[in-house]
Amino acid sequence: MKTIRERPAATRPRGRPPSSLLEEFEQVYLRNVDVLMGYFARRCRDPQMVADLTSETFVRAVDGFARFDPRRGSDRAWLFGIAAHVFARHCEQSAGGRDAAARLGGYRPLDEDEIEEVAERIDAERKAAELMRRFAWLPAVERAAIELVDLEGLTPREAAVALGVSRVAFRKRLSRARSRLREGAAEQ
Amino acid sequence: MSKYTDNLWRDIAREHGAALALAERPEAAGTSFLRRPRVLAGSTLGLAGAGVAVFLAVGAASSTPAFAVTKDADGSVLVNINQITSLPHGGNAKLAAMGVGGLIIQMAGGPATVSGPVTCTRAPGATGPIVKILVGKNGTEVIAPGATPGNTGVGTWHLASCQTTGPDTGGTGNTGQ
Repeated sequence: MKTIRERPAATRPRGRPPSSLLEEFEQVYLRNVDVLMGYFARRCRDPQMVADLTSETFVRAVDGFARFDPRRGSDRAWLFGIAAHVFARHCEQSAGGRDAAARLGGYRPLDEDEIEEVAERIDAERKAAELMRRFAWLPAVERAAIELVDLEGLTPREAAVALGVSRVAFRKRLSRARSRLREGAAEQ
Repeated sequence: MSKYTDNLWRDIAREHGAALALAERPEAAGTSFLRRPRVLAGSTLGLAGAGVAVFLAVGAASSTPAFAVTKDADGSVLVNINQITSLPHGGNAKLAAMGVGGLIIQMAGGPATVSGPVTCTRAPGATGPIVKILVGKNGTEVIAPGATPGNTGVGTWHLASCQTTGPDTGGTGNTGQ
């Protein structure tokens, strides 16, 4: 299984701090684009849809980046919050039967090389996607807690920001989810 | 960078880069997270200590720029930036009418080393007339204490660099908005 895990090189010279929000956003993009693709690759099997959802997330992020405050949480947590909204909207509109292209505003179609790249990314997430499907019986909020902390490696604090809940509420969700998983494993 | 992520970044930078270059992050009360540039009264132009890139969005209906625009006999466009004097509104529309898509201006502290206007470079693909920018009367702007309310840029300023860009300032294409 081939994975696309390499982090792209920044265009800004190393060691120099970002001089503008655009440069700062570029660093955020470079740090997170692959992770966000993975998030959507666990949810969709269609490369074009994974690409469109990733694009939609970053377009929303760039529009709101001036309001993002890194002191309140990591950029990754913030992006996961946006991604969750993007995916929820996608699901709502899919359920409403709207055309996929209309849903996301008609992003640029992928060429063959890009389809292959994204398909490899989907492949790389297959095991994680299977794992998430096995947890499908968990309530959605608890599944999201497990995914962000145990699969994505966010701290509980970051995950709480991503899900828009208090740290206390998030810890309760996470704790409940882990208890249920332990109980489920014991029963099998 | 993979081809897909490379292309996605290119699209984002092309369609949203100018707006983000202009944007600044709001400063929380009582903190100094980001230095807020001193903004000239009624203008889209800002100045910051070490220099800041500013995009003058041509054609933006809400902007009331503090700069004067004139056309020289050789066809070049002269933009005079001077917040001390009262400058006419509508400069952006005038620039657009002269075929200038937009300007990215980098200001720096201190007096200009060379007197007179600075000729802007062109961004790749940018078209339109040659644009020259004159800061103040001779290349240096002097901002005295109390010149404008809330002015944090007291001192001398000069134009470090400027570049003309294409007319597309975002809002079209595959933004999905």
